[in-house]
Amino acid sequence: MIKKDCIVLSINGRKFKFSVGTGFGDVSPSETLTHTLRRRLGYTGSKESCDAGACGCCAVIADGEAIASCMALTVEMDGKSITTIEGLEDPIEGLDPIQQAFIDEYSFQCGYCTPGIIMVAKALFMSNPHPTANEISEALSGNYCRCISQYTVLRALNKLAGNENAELATFTRASDEVEDPIPVRQELYLSPYANGHVCAHSLD
Amino acid sequence: MKHFEYMQAESFADAAATLKENTDHRISVMAGGTDLLGALKEDILEDYPETVIGLKGIKEADYIEFSGDTVEIGAMTRLSAIASSDEIAARAPILAEAAYSVATPIIRNVATIGGNVCQDVRCWFYRYPHQIGERFDCMRKGGNECYAIRGDNRYHSIFGGMKTHATPCEVECPAATDIPAYMERMRAGDIHAAARIIMEANPIPMITSRVCAHTCQEKCNRNNTDESVAIHLVERRIGDYILEHAEEFYAPPTAETGKSAALVGSGPAGLAAAYYLRSAGHSVTVIDSQEEPGGMLTYAIPSYRLPKHYVKDLADAYRKMGVKFMMNTTIGKDISAEELEKRYDKVFLATGAWQRPVLGFDGEEFTEFGLQFLKEVKQWVGKKERQNVLVVGGGNVAMDVAVTAKRLGAKSVTLACLEGKLEMPASAEEVARAVEEGVTVMNGFGVSRLLYDGEKINGMELVTCVSVFDQNGRFNPTYDHDSKTVVEADSVLVAAGQKADLSFIEEKYSIALNRGLIKVDEGTQKTSRSGVFAGGDATTGPATVIKAVRTGRLAAEAINREFGIETPKRFSKPGFITYDTEGAQNGTAVRERELPAAERSLEKEDSFTIGGEECLTEAKRCMNCGCYSVNASDISPALIALDAEIVTTKRTIGADAFFTTKLEARDMLDRDELVVSIRFSVPSGFKMGYKKFRVRNAIDFAIVSLAYLYKVEAGKITDAKLVLGGVAPTPIRAKEAESAMIGQAPSAELAGKAAESAIEGAAVMKDNAYKVQIVRALVKQMVAAMR
Ligand SMILES: Cc1cc2nc3c(=O)[nH]c(=O)nc-3n(C[C@@H](O)[C@@H](O)[C@H](O)COP(=O)(O)OP(=O)(O)OC[C@H]3O[C@@H](n4cnc5c(N)ncnc54)[C@H](O)[C@@H]3O)c2cc1C
Ligand code: SF4
Ligand code: SF4
Ligand code: FES
Ligand code: FES
Repeated sequence: MIKKDCIVLSINGRKFKFSVGTGFGDVSPSETLTHTLRRRLGYTGSKESCDAGACGCCAVIADGEAIASCMALTVEMDGKSITTIEGLEDPIEGLDPIQQAFIDEYSFQCGYCTPGIIMVAKALFMSNPHPTANEISEALSGNYCRCISQYTVLRALNKLAGNENAELATFTRASDEVEDPIPVRQELYLSPYANGHVCAHSLD
Repeated sequence: MKHFEYMQAESFADAAATLKENTDHRISVMAGGTDLLGALKEDILEDYPETVIGLKGIKEADYIEFSGDTVEIGAMTRLSAIASSDEIAARAPILAEAAYSVATPIIRNVATIGGNVCQDVRCWFYRYPHQIGERFDCMRKGGNECYAIRGDNRYHSIFGGMKTHATPCEVECPAATDIPAYMERMRAGDIHAAARIIMEANPIPMITSRVCAHTCQEKCNRNNTDESVAIHLVERRIGDYILEHAEEFYAPPTAETGKSAALVGSGPAGLAAAYYLRSAGHSVTVIDSQEEPGGMLTYAIPSYRLPKHYVKDLADAYRKMGVKFMMNTTIGKDISAEELEKRYDKVFLATGAWQRPVLGFDGEEFTEFGLQFLKEVKQWVGKKERQNVLVVGGGNVAMDVAVTAKRLGAKSVTLACLEGKLEMPASAEEVARAVEEGVTVMNGFGVSRLLYDGEKINGMELVTCVSVFDQNGRFNPTYDHDSKTVVEADSVLVAAGQKADLSFIEEKYSIALNRGLIKVDEGTQKTSRSGVFAGGDATTGPATVIKAVRTGRLAAEAINREFGIETPKRFSKPGFITYDTEGAQNGTAVRERELPAAERSLEKEDSFTIGGEECLTEAKRCMNCGCYSVNASDISPALIALDAEIVTTKRTIGADAFFTTKLEARDMLDRDELVVSIRFSVPSGFKMGYKKFRVRNAIDFAIVSLAYLYKVEAGKITDAKLVLGGVAPTPIRAKEAESAMIGQAPSAELAGKAAESAIEGAAVMKDNAYKVQIVRALVKQMVAAMR
């Protein structure tokens, strides 16, 4: 059994050393990576939104893979290399091509989800420089945007990947073709989620 | 998140050893943490861990290995690796698809297969964050009620629930009767099975349903919103049924053991012990100093509450069962206790509490003992000797005395007791009956002295009682001696306590006592003498009929164990527990029909047994409290379909047993046991897959999922295995659908048939009928794609 008194993380290429414990300034073992990044180090690019692993706003890259930083304990990141949105811009080359594509395509509205989306996209492009439209949608399926920037996000990334018809990039839908559906709580909603009348996921 | 200590395990053995050594420490293990961290953040666990053991450092448990047909996956393997493994996709696509369907890529990158199969439930009541408002302790969290039963249950089970722990009604019942289980049998129209369930705990329900204070009803979860289930009314109907079919329910044992037992006292404790001992095949002799069996049932409880024929019929049934009654025989007089021990293998003492305690007020010798009055009530019938009666006491016996005195024709009956209205030991119903019949209840008074003239009673001086219990809840009344009241009366009946009758204990017969009661071990009813057991009021002081039944049963079980006979396993129905969705919405309980106050008498029973229809309506109101959530894991249905094995630090368990035996897969593991790997052999010649219905393409848990495996040979389905997820507390095999398919050629017609078979036995809840349709659709889609 190893009890960690001290951890070392590389964040955006800089090494950080923390003592673990309950003392002043110590990282508590229950501290999440989101918390450490945002509140301890001031890397407020990655957002804390759902704090439940469900929205992707807090996504960062850890050792080359995109993860939800709200579902990671900082103590468990010992020895890992973390990249956040703040670490994307190259001091010499300038903005990362993904960042530039987002600006070019205006792929955000409020921008709250954007850092998470970019980091997930970055991890994808790092392992697969020419992902297909489906691979892009799939990789981003854990990132939620309230402002419906998805269309422009997909257009930017498909362009970057060199996919044809990037302009038309659309979504795949839930495969829920059901015969003779029974609406859920007829009096209230037509589907467990839908709040209007007919929606893409309605069971009717 | 609240603070916890963190330790990184170097191996599973390391983690298991730490768990084993630190039993007094709250420890959680964490793999990827995607499930556990959520639970910790919302603070929903019953026990927040002091330490979290991280398994992420166990790198050697992160592997997918193929040897021949066997696939082994280390517990720490991440779902992303399984979903993207070409070999898994080629050889066990069902697992690749299931893994791919979990959550989202950023979760799958850390979530492990071991953590997936051990994950906690996702019910939204269960997961309700503690930081918001009150702690939501549902049944599964150790609380009493399942909020999904009456709350929004659109994502809950369509095949029933599972019991988590004993329901509050059952816990409250001193005999621990499995109330929801017999209610379920009643709903199924099987009164016979219902009766058997009751008799496992209580062999005299026709009596207890009439005389018990039924505090089980006070604890019924329905009280939180409307009226409790009228448990005793249902019990009474079943009790009557049992007596009507006495030959069947009180059948002689099939074989005699040659052992013998003497039971002293034929009250409820003795009767309960007699039933269980005789059923086990022993020779049972019940000894009693009275003429008729039944003890308090016969001699103290008034006929208007319990007509004597019930006790008589029951005693007759016992006789036919082979129980011997030796009446008019007093221990210590006609036969010594020592002699009994010599003649019988085991002795059970349940002589009750019949003695009058001394309260110690002036003139006490001129007052009457309430219990004696009840016992002799017959001789008072027709004699209007008591005009103005004062009853002292606030328990059910006092109520019986007061009502009996009134029905005997007293002009006025006043009842004085120490307790305030809400503290009275008598049940509210009994008090209400007394008041209805004109008894005046004076709360908060103790006796000071009797006012008398020679032997003529003029009344009683009462003193105001300030408090009955002390800070520790002990009976310790205090009075305001400056505040006194006089009640005029020509007769005073004292029903304030009874003492155990231990007159049979002679000097040379030594048995340990405790405050004038026979001392027994809780649970076995053993006394200090070997082979001698005791129960009922003689061991507890005046208590209740059902408590006496409990001691009788426990003694019988302990005696049987000493004879080498184990207590038979209690009834347990296979499958999930269910309730009646519509019937459970009914907020009004069946009312007991009673004679109007003017028609009540001393002899005729006041109330009636409810009819069959009413009984069914009432049984339908029981919600069968349990957990009605669904299994959340996508991996477990696939593993059941694959017939996989779960390898732990201690053993290897088949997936079916691992995932379907207990409500939570984790409950299958000991505290210091961890999942090490998952193993299965690739089924050859099978087509397989995992279908998951959810609203959003990613992230959502399954609303319904279907893990399937089938073989089509020469145009016919020769084998099939279907496991449904998201529809029941555990994944379930759709066995009916499997057999409907095997041997058939795939067709649209077969698809429909298989779909219908898959939903057989569905018991939908208020908001989730739509899931039934989804089950159908998934099964149909699967058959439609068969080649
Ligand atoms: C947003 C979101 C969406 C999700 N969607 C899905 C979904 O669609 N389908 C699905 O199936 N799940 C889903 N999950 C649940 C997800 O947490 C699990 O699927 C995941 O696999 C759990 O793995 P873990 O390693 O992170 O578990 P942990 O959180 O580390 O552990 C879960 C539990 O298992 C215990 N445990 C872990 N490893 C072991 C072991 N080796 N031996 C014994 N006990 C162990 C832990 O003590 C803990 O109680 C979702 C979770 C989130 C946050
Ligand atoms: S379904 Fe289970 S987890 Fe949900 S409220 Fe009921 S008891 Fe709790
Ligand atoms: S509803 Fe049924 S199971 Fe639940 S507490 Fe009441 S009687 Fe018991
Ligand atoms: S904040 Fe981490 S996934 Fe939403
Ligand atoms: S741009 Fe506003 S949440 Fe995505």
